[in-house]
Amino acid sequence: MNVMITGAAGGLGRAIAVECGSRGYDLFLTDIAPNGLESIELGIKRQFGVNVITHACDLTHASAVDIMLADIDRMGLAFDMLINVAGIDFEGGFLTQDREASVKIISLNDAATLRITHAMLGRRNKVRFTVVFVSSLASMFPMPLKAEYAASKPFLLDFATALRQELKADSVNVLTLCPAGMETTPKATKKIAAQGFWGDVTTNALESVARRTVDRALRGRTLYVPGVFNRLLAGLGRLVPRSLAAAVVYRRRSDAQRRWMNTEE
Amino acid sequence: MKTVVVTGATSGIGMEVLRLLSREGYRVAGVSRTAEGCERVDVPDVKWFVGDLMQQREVNRVADEINAWLGEVSAGKLYALINNAGCARNRYTTTEDGYEQQFALNYLAGFLLTHRLLPALLHGGRVLMTASRSHMGIKVHWNDVMLRRRYNPLTAYKQSKLCDILFAKGLNDRYSEEGLRAYAVDPGLVNTAIGDKSGGIVKFVWSFRKPHGTDASVPAETYSLLCNAKQPELLSLRRTGVQS
Ligand SMILES: NC(=O)c1ccc[n+]([C@@H]2O[C@H](COP(=O)([O-])OP(=O)(O)OC[C@H]3O[C@@H](n4cnc5c(N)ncnc54)[C@H](OP(=O)(O)O)[C@@H]3O)[C@@H](O)[C@H]2O)c1
Repeated sequence: MNVMITGAAGGLGRAIAVECGSRGYDLFLTDIAPNGLESIELGIKRQFGVNVITHACDLTHASAVDIMLADIDRMGLAFDMLINVAGIDFEGGFLTQDREASVKIISLNDAATLRITHAMLGRRNKVRFTVVFVSSLASMFPMPLKAEYAASKPFLLDFATALRQELKADSVNVLTLCPAGMETTPKATKKIAAQGFWGDVTTNALESVARRTVDRALRGRTLYVPGVFNRLLAGLGRLVPRSLAAAVVYRRRSDAQRRWMNTEE
Repeated sequence: MKTVVVTGATSGIGMEVLRLLSREGYRVAGVSRTAEGCERVDVPDVKWFVGDLMQQREVNRVADEINAWLGEVSAGKLYALINNAGCARNRYTTTEDGYEQQFALNYLAGFLLTHRLLPALLHGGRVLMTASRSHMGIKVHWNDVMLRRRYNPLTAYKQSKLCDILFAKGLNDRYSEEGLRAYAVDPGLVNTAIGDKSGGIVKFVWSFRKPHGTDASVPAETYSLLCNAKQPELLSLRRTGVQS
């Protein structure tokens, strides 16, 4: 089984790569960070002895993606699964963010994800193919102080749901993962700690999210919201008026943000 | 002058070991996770190496730098390597290599660093592993060493410390005839920041345990004893068991 993972040098991407490696899948890993890719390649080869190919690439540049695809075609690879993890996050008010950095959130989280998904569907194993999109629990609510990021996520959820319908007859399954916080980086750990009780109940265990995502995607499931409490919040998100949800989220986030910014080293 | 390298030397046990050995006349080098970390340490004449030992790439780089330095100051010889850097975690977290962090830092980092410094140590050198008594009742989960199936942060910590002890035994089995000796030190319960850095429930539990711990200068004596003693003496100590 050949699996492509984007954002494979980041916390969640790494954990999913390790999960796939432990199942004996061969991996094509891409990320913008060449050093991180080198480390995860070595780590997975050592632990599981599977084939790992890496290619560092900025997915927001069509020309860089074309170079990567040419590489893939030269090797004659076809894929059984694509896991779209690459994405960036930003915490803070819209106007505190640099203009182009703000736009970049959409060009990576959404535009680049479309680019790579289109490309890999063209290089899929025709018998059966699985696509995973990493959306977020944030796709269920408008989220002040994280507005661009949260808005980039329902795009993926909607796109995935529609794509799944389009490609059902071609044996393609599409799963959307909507996790809440996970301890993927030291910064994430700090933010979770700053949220206190809320951080604790919404945080997902990285190792089990990685395992269950792959499990569910292969079983043909559509949506995976990890954690009972998060599923409850997701349900609530559908009932509560959007502007009320925004007000509640704003209050909670501005408190937590003040706290974690104070603990910044 | 005998040269000693201590990892995790910027706080807690490692810092006190560095301080004591420096006072006793060793040439001391410390490994620090960050450049700022070394500035916290008020021990004179320390040679610092900076690297995040959780990442194997960094361990390799630091090892290259240490080997080059040993070539300059001590004809390539290292008297003692003290693998002490360690961490506690509250949840499953991974390193850049995709390894569970406690396993990667508490065990793999020391393993790789020792491996890379082995030629410098095979002249009567010694390797000290900061182990713990928490390994008791724990086994190595060979089928899932990083505990991804059922992660329990405390089990992961204890297992990493058990591996440190097994590593010391393994080194003795393989290299004691070539003059290298390895020891695992149980520092006892020590009042350090180790649990504070983890957050969550582990930090909470540590806040109750920590005040009962001794000052880090107490276990430092054990490291000094192991560095100062002549090797035959150590063998008898080993039979009776060194307690801190
Ligand atoms: N305290 C106890 O009761 C006790 C009992 C048994 C065994 N131990 C063991 O004793 C050793 C020292 O712990 P401690 O209690 O003295 O805790 P500590 O004060 O937290 O010391 C740990 C040291 O390791 C360093 N370190 C952490 N992550 C690192 C990384 N990624 N790369 C390089 N260095 C890193 C720390 O640097 P930063 O501060 O910069 O992170 C610090 O200097 C550990 O191996 C621990 O498992 C402690």
